[in-house]
Amino acid sequence: QLIASNGYRAKQQEKDIAAPVVTLKAALSELEKQYRVSFIYRTNLVDTKVVLTGHRDHTVEEALTNLLSDKGLTYEKIQANFYVIVASKEKGTRFFRKINQIEKKAFEPQIGSEPVSSADLNLIKLERIGYSVLSAEKPMDDIRGKVSGAGGDALPGVSVVIKGSTRGTTTNGEGEFSINAPNNATLVFSFVGFASKEVPVNGRTNLTVTLVEDERALEEVVVVGYGTQKRASVTGAVASVTPKDLTALPVISAESAMQGRVPGVRVVNNGSPGQSPIVRIRGVGSINYASGPLYVIDGVPSGDLNNLDPKDIESLEILKDASAAAIYGSRASNGVVIISTKKGSKDGKLHVNFDTYFGTQTAWKKLDLLNTQEYTQYATALLGNAKIAMPSRLSNLNTPIYDGASQTFAQTATNWQDVMLRTAPIQQHQLSVSGGNNVSRFFTSAGYFDQEGILIGTNYKRGNVRINSDHQITKFLTFGQTLMISYDKMRGEQGFGGGRTAIMQAIRNLPYWPVSDPTKVGGYSSPTAADGSDPDNPVRIALQDKSYNQRVKLLGTLFTEIKFTNFLKYRFSFGADIVTAIGTNLFPIYNDGYKSRTQDNIQDNRTSYYSPILTNQLTYDQTFGKHYINATVVAEKQTFRSSSLNGNGFRPNNDIDVLQGISNPGVTSSKDESSLISYIGRVNYEFAGKYLLSGSVRRDGSSRFAPGNKWGTFPSASVGWRVSEEAFMKSVPNLSELKIRGSIGQTGFNGIGSYAWQSLISADNTNYVFGANKVLGSYFASLGNTALKWETTTMSNVGVDLGLFGNKLTFTAEVYNRKTDGLLLNVPIPNSIGYSSPPLANIGSMKNWGYEFQAGYNHNEGDFRWNVSANMDVTRNKVTSLATPSATLYSGLNQDFGGFDITKTEAGQSIQSFYGWQVEGIYQSLDDVFNSPRAQNRAETREAHDPTKNTSPGDIKFKDINGDGKIDASDRTYLGSYIPKFSYGINFGANYKNFDVTVYLQGVYGNKIYNGTKVIEEGMLRLFNAGKGVLNAWTPTNTGTDVPRAISGDPNNNSRTSDRFIEDGSYMRVKNFSIGYSIPAPILSKFTRNTLTKARLYVSSTNLLTFTKYTGLDPEIGINGTAGDNSKLLTNGIDYGQYPQPRTLLIGLNIGF
Amino acid sequence: CQESDLDKLNPNGVTVDTFYKNGAELTSAVNAVYAMAKANALTSREWFFLQDLRSDDVAAGGGQLETPRNQLLLGSHDTGNSVMGAVWQGFYRLIHRANVVLDLSGKVSDIPAADKARLLAEARFLRAWSYFDLVTMWGGVPLYKTYVTAVEGSLPRSTEKEVYDFIIADLKAAQEALPATYDANNLGRATKGAAQMLLARVYLQQADYTNAKTELQKVISSGTYSLVDEFSDNFTEEAEFNKESIWEINFYPSGGNYNWDGDGNGATAGTETVRTQEYSGIGWRNVIPSNSLLNEFEKTATGFDPRFSKSFYATGDKYNLDKNVLTDAAQNGNSSVVDGKTIKISWRKFSLMYKTDQTFLTGGINQRIMRYAETLLSMAEVENEIGTTAEAVKYLNMVRARKSVAMPAYPTAAYPVGTKDQVFAAIMHERRVELSGEQIRNRDILRWRKAGKLKTEPFAYFQKNKHELLPIPQQEVDNNPKIEPTDQNPGY
Repeated sequence: QLIASNGYRAKQQEKDIAAPVVTLKAALSELEKQYRVSFIYRTNLVDTKVVLTGHRDHTVEEALTNLLSDKGLTYEKIQANFYVIVASKEKGTRFFRKINQIEKKAFEPQIGSEPVSSADLNLIKLERIGYSVLSAEKPMDDIRGKVSGAGGDALPGVSVVIKGSTRGTTTNGEGEFSINAPNNATLVFSFVGFASKEVPVNGRTNLTVTLVEDERALEEVVVVGYGTQKRASVTGAVASVTPKDLTALPVISAESAMQGRVPGVRVVNNGSPGQSPIVRIRGVGSINYASGPLYVIDGVPSGDLNNLDPKDIESLEILKDASAAAIYGSRASNGVVIISTKKGSKDGKLHVNFDTYFGTQTAWKKLDLLNTQEYTQYATALLGNAKIAMPSRLSNLNTPIYDGASQTFAQTATNWQDVMLRTAPIQQHQLSVSGGNNVSRFFTSAGYFDQEGILIGTNYKRGNVRINSDHQITKFLTFGQTLMISYDKMRGEQGFGGGRTAIMQAIRNLPYWPVSDPTKVGGYSSPTAADGSDPDNPVRIALQDKSYNQRVKLLGTLFTEIKFTNFLKYRFSFGADIVTAIGTNLFPIYNDGYKSRTQDNIQDNRTSYYSPILTNQLTYDQTFGKHYINATVVAEKQTFRSSSLNGNGFRPNNDIDVLQGISNPGVTSSKDESSLISYIGRVNYEFAGKYLLSGSVRRDGSSRFAPGNKWGTFPSASVGWRVSEEAFMKSVPNLSELKIRGSIGQTGFNGIGSYAWQSLISADNTNYVFGANKVLGSYFASLGNTALKWETTTMSNVGVDLGLFGNKLTFTAEVYNRKTDGLLLNVPIPNSIGYSSPPLANIGSMKNWGYEFQAGYNHNEGDFRWNVSANMDVTRNKVTSLATPSATLYSGLNQDFGGFDITKTEAGQSIQSFYGWQVEGIYQSLDDVFNSPRAQNRAETREAHDPTKNTSPGDIKFKDINGDGKIDASDRTYLGSYIPKFSYGINFGANYKNFDVTVYLQGVYGNKIYNGTKVIEEGMLRLFNAGKGVLNAWTPTNTGTDVPRAISGDPNNNSRTSDRFIEDGSYMRVKNFSIGYSIPAPILSKFTRNTLTKARLYVSSTNLLTFTKYTGLDPEIGINGTAGDNSKLLTNGIDYGQYPQPRTLLIGLNIGF
Repeated sequence: CQESDLDKLNPNGVTVDTFYKNGAELTSAVNAVYAMAKANALTSREWFFLQDLRSDDVAAGGGQLETPRNQLLLGSHDTGNSVMGAVWQGFYRLIHRANVVLDLSGKVSDIPAADKARLLAEARFLRAWSYFDLVTMWGGVPLYKTYVTAVEGSLPRSTEKEVYDFIIADLKAAQEALPATYDANNLGRATKGAAQMLLARVYLQQADYTNAKTELQKVISSGTYSLVDEFSDNFTEEAEFNKESIWEINFYPSGGNYNWDGDGNGATAGTETVRTQEYSGIGWRNVIPSNSLLNEFEKTATGFDPRFSKSFYATGDKYNLDKNVLTDAAQNGNSSVVDGKTIKISWRKFSLMYKTDQTFLTGGINQRIMRYAETLLSMAEVENEIGTTAEAVKYLNMVRARKSVAMPAYPTAAYPVGTKDQVFAAIMHERRVELSGEQIRNRDILRWRKAGKLKTEPFAYFQKNKHELLPIPQQEVDNNPKIEPTDQNPGY
């Protein structure tokens, strides 16, 4: 605030000069300019008002006499063009004696520096005893210079003050300043939004000063729903990701920019390039829905951040608690992320920036799999123990890999991981042009992003154009717009969303099998019956089967704001989100010798989406003495319309990729429409800047619910106390901010289907053939529920904000309690009632609670400036009730993992906890088998024991948890949760001269992962290639192992869900490490003839190092599907061999014109 | 803002109260019942697996047989077995669709009464077929006579007798309204003969031989059915809906497109069965004929009973229209031991291998549920049980006399038919050989075991008071408040 008022004061002075009555100080200032002289005086002497006569005096002495004589003041010339102004009664030798009384020692020049003149000494002494120089052009050194921002932009209006005095100036429109100061003075540069900087003159006469933006200062104002608020006045839990965080690191999406930045926001990267990460704010809000936060982009609520270029983001705010989010009512239960895109600047200049980087990505880890010789050894054990004949190929590997090939199977050693994973390029470029003045501002950018996946057959491309502008048409009328036009195209992992991942296929394929085979239709072959194993050729799937998703997205707003009075304004805005998507699946004809496709299957799916939103907003904002009131009312309507058209058919050849000449054509279309009407009110009240009170209410009407349940009300209230503003706290040294705040409120969730309450006939949605005549069938698939309503979340939040040493050190702590009632759940119906999908109902409740901490320290002085911030959150989840007391939701059952449920959700436990058996050991003998609790597959008697079919020595002895003497389904227990005990992020940034370094650590602790890749590697269900671990399988001679015997068919279900495959998922990642170098401005302007104003070169690495005990490919595990896939919800933390997060190395350049 | 903007009806479907108002909609609703019967959960996949794995007709093809399937084969399945769970779910979804048809057809008046009655009878037939499979495998099951209108509407287990009585009533009603035959465009719909034959099965299963005989006699007397000369014509694509066929689920080639959806949903979804892929020698070969089945076949002077090579492929056999010779290497997994010789043998019935060498193939061979040979063999069993053994032998010999089979008439050296027991032994043998792999053996074993007619227990794993019935799926016990864990079948 001090900084801001400096600039204000400077402006105020200019104004006063024009007025006839001015302060004496202003009048002196005018004389200084007029006569090019300097004055020094006690600051308390010049508060007197004087009347300017307009009369022009001949000399400065004359003018001074006129001005001072009737004020009891006089002057004394102490140097050429330098006058001291003193009280008449003080004038005389006594005054100068006083100066000389000051101990000389304190003013001895430092050794090695220039000697200080006596005049300067006197001046300094005068300043020491309360005299001040208003400005001085002579006789001191004339120091000139230029101040610019870190990006090289000139900064006008920067306050330049000689340290230890109040003497100073401000920079002009070109960022230039000149000041007369002692050549050993230190100049203090300060500017709103930037960290102030002290520069010793050291005898220089020309200074180039770069100011860095001060994050704390920028956060002074935060964007909240339908408005902005001073950071100091915020009473809810609102976290910001600063533009610096968003752009300093080469993040590929806004979601990943949030990862580890904000406590309580869990971001998990999920899938191949172009797939959205999973974002959860403060725990898990919903059981049945993949419920990410509501994203509000320039005022348009949207379900996702698709296609948004993170470099276009000006600010990103996360509303975590109900008091902040309740303003978004029925959609706010899972938190709200508000994004504003960039605007032009008002400095009257054109800013051109070009950012670019190129990089490569690689898998940072690979699994250790069997080679051919080890595979044969393993197959012998696996099949031998099951008395299954060895595949004929294994005794016949010296045959050609295909007819006519010179290479034999024995000579083939395929590392399928190496074949499937590659070093992949990544690049991003953005050009932005922005500028403006007090009337109009614009920001235009164009960006291109291109990422190949490290998994073959995956890639993503995106092109963006943005045009934002706003115009001050008259003093009271503003008009503006934002527009994003974007195109993207993604080729995702084939088979993604279900079934086997490419990594699983790569583990399973045989080491002696060749990747390709030119004799086969399509060029790829697969093992046949002779191999006794039937893995798919993952290369064929990845490269031949193609699925593309293309989108064209337009997201734009138009708004106008009318200021009726200083305190009342009206804003109207219209926004629209328009998406056209094309999904193409091409499954060509092939025959790999085992599997084949006889017709080319083409699917062409079109979807269009249009969502307009109209917002009318009235804001009242006024201060009465110590009272401040801000009130907002809003009426809003948003409509969501989509329609899709899906066509498919079969072609007799692979020649073309369109639906022509097809057989079995199929076309379906569907429509979806819903709307939301809302009325919103909010009042913020402040008393004396100390006591803060806020309340809001939103009433939402949604078409998604049955009549009678369409409307819902979502209230919130919060209070805050800025303890540091209290008089009794002013004496506490170094305390700059202390605020205690608390809130409570309700939010809703309506992310269900548009028509979920309606009992519908699935018309013509199935088929049958009579004779040769295909007919369609209609059925009653699901019960409706007219009682359906929103999920309601009640959240309370208490927080403390602490700032020390002028907010150099900041600390925030929050505790919250989030209770969701009326969970929208598919009622777990017994299968016997015959509905294919269960009806939705508001049953069950869930609780999330946690603690969040954030601390930051900024050191902004000297050449070495650094900051460090750290955050941590503890989140806990508990399902408190489901439909019935015994209702359970199982998930994760997968035949490749032995066919057992992997997670269980029930009341009293954390959502989707891992659930299975515990391993007690390995049966070492038949006695052991028969003396232990009865295994499910133990023979009736020892005589009937058949090691190929029954539980035998070498099998896993599971724990008889309920002690009933037998091992069965009731011996399962909870094995942990995928939710970390805590998550954290640590960010360290430093600048030294022109170098900058960022180290960003992100981690989770205490979560569990079900390592499905280990099941594929060591489950030994049937013959496929496997991990090296199987070589240590139990045999009568290798008993000291924890790997059970190898036996095809796994009669004891050793591969069932158990703690054998549960691993600690804790990790700490060097999420990003960057080093940048900015070419110094003088050199830059010299070599580019003043074309370039900034140039920064950097190298950066993402996921450079990962510290984890997890043995799978990557500990950052989402779900085996897209982030919004509701059917995969309860399978978080199961590692199916999902696309691993790559290690990226890149080199980039930011330049500015 | 208009608040009426908040009133939106689903444009993609019609509400339940407005549907089922005309003949077209009723027909579409009945089609959906059939569609469920062909779904992945039922006859295109899990159903034939469950029936076969619960019989002694099959053995594991090798390690490729998935765990839950292998568990059924080993008798080590538990309440969570997914194959069993899928079939349970499939049948109840079919029953639901049939109940909806029967309960909501009241408004339909634009089609002739006879046509409407026929459509309803088809729904009754399919419902009866489902309940019969449920009651034979699980015992007394929840008996939904009408569709459930609220989540709370689930029912407890009924007794076996209640279920059987309901099935009988349905089939009696159905056969009144069903026609004897259909035109080519409607082949696959339930016929009068199908309802009669199914009812005969139901009576036979309860050892109600008198009523079984009545129904079987109706089928025989109808003159609609006779044995085809070529035994294999019961299992090939070209000979579908022949005169021996009483009811079959119609699969139809759809370009290799198999519908993996459990409910078989999707307007454009494939209409094929995965059976060729699952069982065939050059396919996944998940199961193979069991040794006990293979050795059941009689040896004649010229070799095996001709039905052996028409039911199975052995290494050395020709396939793909005789263009290929089956090798050991082409067949994945285990060998069989027949007549002391170790040889790889795979299922031929319902396999497309007779005309293809593709190793991955789904296809359009219909799943025959009932055929006339079974009628004759069941009649033999009924006659024997009611004491007319000579009649029984006559029916057995009709089956053996099929042109392409031409097995010597009973009595033979191995099967004298002097006593009721001897005739019964011949009936057991003949049914097993004639109907192997047709999802009949499981029910035969259940029936015979219950009546104490089995001389030896076919399953080594068999535990009394456990393996007679499948366990009620855990999903049902967990979510049906009317079924407590104590209601579970014994042994689970």
